[in-house]
Parts: sequence; C-alpha cells; structure tokens
Amino acid sequence: MEFATVGWLLLWGTVVGLDLATVGQVMVARPFVAAAVAGWIVGDVQTGLIVGVILELFALEVLPFGAARYPDYGVGAVAAVATAAGAPGHFGIGIGVAVGLIIAYLGEIAIQLVRQRTAMDVQRRREAIDSGDVTTIHRTHLRGIRRDAQRSLGLAGLGLLMATVVRVAAPFTLRGAVLLTAVAVGVGLGTTFVSGLRIGRHARGGWVWFVTGLLAGVTWVVVR
Amino acid sequence: MKRGMLAAAARLFVFQASMNPERLQGLGMASAVEPLLRDLKGGPAGPAHRAAMGRAAGFFNTHPYLAGLAVGAVAKAEHQGLPAHQVDRLRTALKGPLGSLGDRLIWAGTLPATAAIGLILVTLTHPLVAVAAFLLLFNAVHVTLRLWGLQAGWRAGVKVAEALRHPVLQAGLRAVAPVAALAIGMAIPVVAEWLMAGFGTTVRWGTAGVALATVAVTRWLTPTMGAARLGILALTVTLILGWLR
Repeated sequence: MEFATVGWLLLWGTVVGLDLATVGQVMVARPFVAAAVAGWIVGDVQTGLIVGVILELFALEVLPFGAARYPDYGVGAVAAVATAAGAPGHFGIGIGVAVGLIIAYLGEIAIQLVRQRTAMDVQRRREAIDSGDVTTIHRTHLRGIRRDAQRSLGLAGLGLLMATVVRVAAPFTLRGAVLLTAVAVGVGLGTTFVSGLRIGRHARGGWVWFVTGLLAGVTWVVVR
Repeated sequence: MKRGMLAAAARLFVFQASMNPERLQGLGMASAVEPLLRDLKGGPAGPAHRAAMGRAAGFFNTHPYLAGLAVGAVAKAEHQGLPAHQVDRLRTALKGPLGSLGDRLIWAGTLPATAAIGLILVTLTHPLVAVAAFLLLFNAVHVTLRLWGLQAGWRAGVKVAEALRHPVLQAGLRAVAPVAALAIGMAIPVVAEWLMAGFGTTVRWGTAGVALATVAVTRWLTPTMGAARLGILALTVTLILGWLR
C-alpha cells in the first residue's frame, strides 16, 4: 500500500471514529459508508462495499440507548477494507470482516478508556466547572474531541497494522477463505434477523411488518 | 432569531465531545447553552451567567439529536429568571422523555430504517448513489430534528413538553418502527442474495445454517453477547478448526 493511501486511510479512520459519537454523528461511521469510501481510497470500491455491507449487518444490532457501550464499526470497516482490498474474488472478505470486528470491539473498549480519562479531567477541574467558569468548561469539553481523535487515529493505525500482518502472514486456501466469508455472512444475517425482531417490538404488530418485509424481499429475489 | 442561536446550533453537533461516566453530557449541555446565555444580566462575565453555566454543567443525559430542546428550554428558563431549583428540575424532567423519544424515533426507527434502505439500494444501484441516498435520508431527519429542537425549546421554555406533542413528531413516532421492521425484513433476503451471488448451492445452504444457528444463539442462548463478539468467536473457531489450511 502506498504511503499516501495509508495517510488517507488514517485520516478517514479518524473522521469516522469521531463521527461515532463525538463530532457530528452524521453516520459516515456506518460500516457500509465508511467501507465504501475506504474502498474508493484503496481503489477497490466493490470489495469495500461487500465488506461494509457484511459489517453493516452486524452494526444493525446496535441500539445505542442511553449510555450503552457499542463497537466502533466505522474504524473497523476501514481496517476490514485495508485487509480485503485487492485480493482476488472473495479471497479477503471473511478475514477482512474478522479484522474489522476485532478493531470494532477494541474501539468499544478504547471509548470507555477515553471517557474515563475525560471524567478524571472533569474531576481535576470540578471547582472551576461548578462555579461556571466558561473557559474551563469550554476547554475541558474540547479536550474530549482531541482525546477521541487520538483514539480513532490510534485505532485506525492498529487496524492498518493488523491488515498488513494478515495480508502478509495469513495462510489462505480458497476453501478456507470461502468458508470464512460464509460464516461472516451467516452470522451477520442471523444477527440482523434478531435485530429486525427486536426493532419490530417497538411498533404495534411490529413482527407482522418484519415478516411482511421478509416475504417481500424473498419475492423480490425470486422474481428478479 | 435569538442572538447566539447559530453558535448554539453548531455546538449541538459536538454535544457528546466530553461524554464521561461522571456527568455524561453535562459539559456538552453547558457548552451548547453558553451562546444563548451571553446576554443574561451582567453579560458573559456576570454572576447570572456564571451561575447558569455552573448549573448547566451538572449531570445530564439525553438523546443527542433532541438535546436542542433541553438547551433551548433551559436557556429560556434562565432568561425568565426562574429560581435555580426550578431550572434544575426542568433539566431533570427533560432527560428521560427526550431520551426515550429519541431512542424510539432515531436509534430504533430512523437509523435502522434508512440503513436497511441503504443496504437494499446497494444491491440495486451504483454503490455511491446508495451511500449518498442513505446519508441524505438520515440526515434530513437528523439535522431537522436538531435545529427544530433548539428553536422549539427556546420558544416553549418551561412548557417544552408541548413541543414533544408536535403532530409531525407523533406521526413520525408511529410510522418509523413499522417502516424499520419492514425495511430490515426486506433487506435480509435481498442482501443475502447479493452477497452470495458468486457462491454455489452448498455454500449458500451452509450460510443459511450459520444464520439459523446465530439466531438461536443470540436470541435464546447468549442474548447479551453482542454481534461483534459473537462474530469474532465464530470466525476464530472457524480459523482454529484448521479450515484455512
């Protein structure tokens, strides 16, 4: 991978990491968005999209109610694309998704660490904050962005490192790569099914809507 | 438009920057409300401004997209000179309802609905069109909600609960969960077909088997495990079983 490509991936990884909760939340951190752009950066949009769609199936499970903990699928998607891109056919998809999931999970842990650091920062400045000192409040708030940017950049860097190691060292056979992809897709579809049922619970007769959607989808696939 | 409204609106987009276990979004609340408090009696350096900022920076947690309603309402309450305990009570009273409304409207509704529509579009159109359509659809709701919330909160003040009864909001709330369930249901077979396009029958049946096993595991055996950890476990087991050699 060229130096400039690595730079752009790190930048994009930082942007999507920040978008998860800290800045904007305009959903560029959704895996299929993050992965499509990462695919475009590495010159393999199709692989990026396949990896992103599989990770999106996993991400649909997340309902970030209240102060819930959830994986950072956006940075995970960038790492997944870096792993899978350029491999022939479906060769890199399954292992790319595996790397993406690991990075997403590490991102979840890293977010907790960042928030604990922010809590310590707030505790140190408790008196000034409680007295309404605008400068202290504002600076403490903005340091949260810097901390999360560092987390996202570090996570993206780790993801690219993992991608490089996996691409060089993983002993692939076509059979193994296909199996890994099938398991990744299967688990993704299964969790999406459960998510559909869970989301259906929020509506009156929600499961009817879900089953109607399933039937419509099956009909669409058969007819098309 | 009230002075400081644009700055407050911009700060709503970094509302969770200093999220932490102690005060959750407290500092985000203070940061967003600050531009609206600058013209309190005594100005930005006055005691009224400092006292209001100190109150605003306390524990607060709600849905980030609807936080504007709380920001606007609290700013209005401070301008109306309400006693400190009433402002605190207003903040406390708003957390739950706004959080609950936002969770149902966005996290369990608009987001899964638009993401599922995006996934379906990926299989039908140019990928970048699908991505752009998802971002436009979702953010049309997201940005409107943030900006409307701030204005509505400022207009309503302590009567902000009335803003939550806005007919468009209520209609959206009724419609969005069925749409999300329908879209996700439809996305599953469409996306499965798209992802499995290059594979033979055996692999397809195998994938369906893994999907069924996942439903069983996540729904009945380990409902709190989470998809990411389950995925890592499944893929690790697959690797360890030596299938890659």
